[in-house]
Amino acid sequence: MTAVCPECEGPIRLAEDLMEGEIIPCGDCGAELEVLSVTPLKLGLAPEVQEDWGE
Amino acid sequence: MTDSEALQLLEAMIRIPSPSGQEAELADFLVHRMADWGFRAFIDEVGNAVGEVGVGPRTVVLLGHMDTVPGEIPVRYEGNRLYGRGAVDAKGPLAAFIVTAARLARRGDLPCRLVVVGCVEEEAPSSRGAFFVRERYRPDFCIVGEPSGWDGLTIGYKGSLQAVIRIEGPIGHSAHGRATAAERACDAWVRIRSGAEAFNTARPRAFDRLLPALTGLRSGGDGLTEWAELDVHLRLPPDLSPASAEAWLQEQVGEGRVTVRGAVPAWVGSRTTPLHRAFARAIRRAGGMPRYLLKTGTSDLNVVAPAWQCPALAYGPGDAAFDHTPEEHIVIEEFWRSLRVLGEVLQEIGHGVRP
Repeated sequence: MTAVCPECEGPIRLAEDLMEGEIIPCGDCGAELEVLSVTPLKLGLAPEVQEDWGE
Repeated sequence: MTDSEALQLLEAMIRIPSPSGQEAELADFLVHRMADWGFRAFIDEVGNAVGEVGVGPRTVVLLGHMDTVPGEIPVRYEGNRLYGRGAVDAKGPLAAFIVTAARLARRGDLPCRLVVVGCVEEEAPSSRGAFFVRERYRPDFCIVGEPSGWDGLTIGYKGSLQAVIRIEGPIGHSAHGRATAAERACDAWVRIRSGAEAFNTARPRAFDRLLPALTGLRSGGDGLTEWAELDVHLRLPPDLSPASAEAWLQEQVGEGRVTVRGAVPAWVGSRTTPLHRAFARAIRRAGGMPRYLLKTGTSDLNVVAPAWQCPALAYGPGDAAFDHTPEEHIVIEEFWRSLRVLGEVLQEIGHGVRP
């Protein structure tokens, strides 16, 4: 399975058992992408990392 | 083991006080419990409680800690909450590790070696338990037990440097108008704060800022000389190493002598590893949306992750906002949900995962 990076439009190879919510790296631009849906396949920029106080 | 029995284990752990340096009673309790449940359990050379189950080509270290900060909180249930010191930081996560490993072992299909460690002195500058464990294992995956919430994954922690600053000098009459050691120590602290503010210019995220805290202040003298000491705790961003932070601190305090009591660098891992993927899947299956967290505190992940170079993160039930507070408690349903997430994650990564 292949897709196109929404950031750099580079090709991305994907595993067959991909699941919604996974975060995958783009090998070309390094962007972290979230699998927004599997059918149809849709990728978007991964959500921002949150800051949290404490341990 | 039922959810109710899991909760009983957590309650029993909370009822055994275990501030840093006084973990022996809890370690003995946990080793006996783990042995009853089929673990190869022992107390290691520095006092960590260790339990191993399963065999297989892969090793997963579940690294919790037994110690808490001081301060007794009456152990009690209020509605759906369990109160007590360590409920979230971090007996809840450690209990979740033990229960999950025991459940998988009892089912008899544990496809990997699980090593559960309850470390000593995570809350102390020494991090003695984690430094010992770091040299003993080379796991394929590591999960550190700290409160992230059942649907959260902690992917990074700030670094930390704890130091004592001592200022000394000949004593003089206070009517002579010269600055006392105590006053010069106060001036040093003001310089540290203003220096940190300058460092933090154009750094909007707390994770990227240098956060100083004054945690102790003492002064005295013997009639001939006088002294003052500041206990300072610096929370370090990823681009400030402990060595650089020590040099920065010395620069701020000038005449004072800086003695470092403990330090670890910040650590931030990738969130695209098989371990993170397994958690994301399990949280999704449980009806949640994975949250990825950078913490302003420090944990044993800072100690082991740079050395082990394996997929690693911190996970555990509980709201870290209650760390070290008089209101420390855990929501029982959250504790139970974390058991299901951990069970699925360990099954998945134990069976082997795509890279």
